[in-house]
Amino acid sequence: MGPSKKNQKRTNDENAPVKKNKKQKREDYRAAMREEGVSTLPRKKFYRQRAHANPFSDHQLVYPPHPEQMDWSTLYPEYVVKGSEETPAEETSESTAVIPKLLTQDVEVADIGCGFGGLLVALAPVMPETLVLGLEIRVSVTQFVEDRIKVLRHQNPGTKLYQNVSVLRANTMKFLPNFFRKSQLSKIFICFPDPHFKARKHKQRIVSTTLNSEYAYVLKPGGIAYTITDVPDLHEWMVQHFEAHPAFERVSEKEQEADPCVRIMRMETEEGKKVERNKGQKYVALFRRLEDPVW
Amino acid sequence: MAVPYHLLKACGGIVFASQGTDIHSFGSNLEHISTWKYPLQVKSTETTAEKPAATTEPTAEVSASPTPEGPPAKRRRTEETKEETPKDQDATEEAAAAAPVKKGRFHRSPVQVANERPFINCLIATTDGRHLILTTGSDKTIWVLEHDGAGNLKQLSQRPMPKRPCSITLTHDNTTILSADKFGDVYALPLIPSSEPTSSASTPKPIPSRSATPSSSTTPGFKPQANEFTVHTRRNLRALENQRLTAEQVKQQKEANEAEKAQFEHTLLLGHVSMLTAITVGQAVSPATGIQRDWIITADRDEHIRVSRGVPQAHVIDNFCLGHEDFVKSLCILPGHPSILVSGGGDDDILLWDWLGGKLITRAPVLQHVKEITPEAEKVAVGRVFGYQTVEGETKVAVVVERVPALFIYTFSPETPLLQHTETISLPGNLLDVEYLQKQSKLLVTVDHSSSLIIIEGSTQTPAQNLPAGEDLKIEPQELQKLLYTTESLRKLSDFD
Repeated sequence: MGPSKKNQKRTNDENAPVKKNKKQKREDYRAAMREEGVSTLPRKKFYRQRAHANPFSDHQLVYPPHPEQMDWSTLYPEYVVKGSEETPAEETSESTAVIPKLLTQDVEVADIGCGFGGLLVALAPVMPETLVLGLEIRVSVTQFVEDRIKVLRHQNPGTKLYQNVSVLRANTMKFLPNFFRKSQLSKIFICFPDPHFKARKHKQRIVSTTLNSEYAYVLKPGGIAYTITDVPDLHEWMVQHFEAHPAFERVSEKEQEADPCVRIMRMETEEGKKVERNKGQKYVALFRRLEDPVW
Repeated sequence: MAVPYHLLKACGGIVFASQGTDIHSFGSNLEHISTWKYPLQVKSTETTAEKPAATTEPTAEVSASPTPEGPPAKRRRTEETKEETPKDQDATEEAAAAAPVKKGRFHRSPVQVANERPFINCLIATTDGRHLILTTGSDKTIWVLEHDGAGNLKQLSQRPMPKRPCSITLTHDNTTILSADKFGDVYALPLIPSSEPTSSASTPKPIPSRSATPSSSTTPGFKPQANEFTVHTRRNLRALENQRLTAEQVKQQKEANEAEKAQFEHTLLLGHVSMLTAITVGQAVSPATGIQRDWIITADRDEHIRVSRGVPQAHVIDNFCLGHEDFVKSLCILPGHPSILVSGGGDDDILLWDWLGGKLITRAPVLQHVKEITPEAEKVAVGRVFGYQTVEGETKVAVVVERVPALFIYTFSPETPLLQHTETISLPGNLLDVEYLQKQSKLLVTVDHSSSLIIIEGSTQTPAQNLPAGEDLKIEPQELQKLLYTTESLRKLSDFD
């Protein structure tokens, strides 16, 4: 979600026949990826989508009404509790609560706005015992990450490598509590979010004091919210809004630099690499979820 | 076109009924006592629509509007079309057709704002009945009226909010109004504003709203957000240069706006990223400390019911009551059973919750009973769930379903616990609101019909006689429908990616 990805549309319009071709190619490629294309990693150019999505519009989203009704088994097939597979979820017909298959452990790390999944892929071998979930609002981009993880899993048969990461399409600004229970997560990553430069778009920013209450809700006390951006003002905004929230405190610089996730976040995210190429600055801020006071 | 009474509130022996922008008060036998009128009638549609719409200045508000708006508010059109019901759109189109305003990139036309009609959309009262609080839609204003106990109202304050309030409630000590707005924020306001004007900036540590930009709330002046490292194309670089050049102008404008900003105390407590539809306050003994505490329960259009702690810990979310599969519109703590919450909205059922534990207790079907009245109904839009306690000590829930000419009564049995449909009362018109007259143990309803107040006692329905002739508002039937029936429009229709 970088600040400058705007000029693609224009070149598309100029060569209309090429565009159609492109679209066709794109669809063919993705269909092939879906079916058997498991040998090579997917190519980004077939999954591009404009960088901005409006978080306030009613997208056609799939989300569980309650975290307990979330079916994680398709996302982490290696972690499904053995024996629970016999009860197929389909037999329940209508609004009766579906009891999904259980996982041996809960998702503990969320990458909000995971983009093309650089962080997920880098985190997978670093925290092999932890389930990591990427959340992304753009359909094509989510598909790319899905295909990418599929291929990576296929390339590492017999091991659990990459079985612990997965991706989901979601609007986290609205539906985070539909996926995660209270205090379920230990880490939340917010990497290079859409900066929304215009003041009138600031309300669409993914960090705000009121929304931080929801991040605090899904994070367990002691859990960490990681933020990184290449836009100084957005960095200031995020720091200001997290520090204004009584449930968070800023993690000291020393501790921040000692955290291995920070290095990965700096170097391995797709945007991080891009900023590196452009010799831009990167601003990191970590916030610890504090214990709630008694009420 | 006569506007029916659309909201009811009983305070002791007095009944208040809102009609458009008026509030009528009635005695125990529904004899009319007095009427409170919205003070700015001059600001009706006609006068403002005739105003030359030539002003392209975006800040040009209706002169009589009591809403001094800050910078975020003037962008309302973009927001409205997205989140709003189609309610405003017709008005907007009409206005656009009537006045050939040059359509800029953001279609900034002052007439569009003017054409919205003030209409009372919330009506609540303090427990002692001494104060009546109401909100009007288009001008986003919260009004506090003083009630002398005999049906006469006196205006105490009018406070224009940053965004349109959707639902209001009071804390248990009756000193603080909580206002939930369309933007998703909840503000706390003292019932009686302190005499000296306090700007929100002077309160100790205000939480910045999503709508508050750092430039207007904390750092003085405007600063371009991007720099040479974050923009790369030639065009973007030029835009950045322009931003810097105009920075000074913007700063001056901001300062001017700042002076106009709301000069009363209002504190942001919490916020959803979704339009709020209902707010209520629950009271319980805290499991951790054993002290009686308040919790703020808010519901939004995206199926959530959130349970946050009361002031001053409103930033802590203790739970969500999740289980609705369509919008939530109305919340009600059952009288006599403070741990039980009933919620209704776009779902076929109403839901019963242990709100503090965030647990669904049971569901009670609504659609199946609506089908007995209107067989073609496929969906229901529950506009209100209203709990009351009868003289016999039974707890009942009256359910108002939008555009259905009947009242559905459910009885709560605490042993099971279960909510059982016990009665459907057919009415001569679509039910708009319901109130229980405690002293007479009668139900009072208002319907979309000329003689709209009806007392229900057992199986007899007595329409109220000699109602004051309401002001004949120049209002199109369609517009009135849109003002009266706002629930169904909360349903999500779009299915784009």
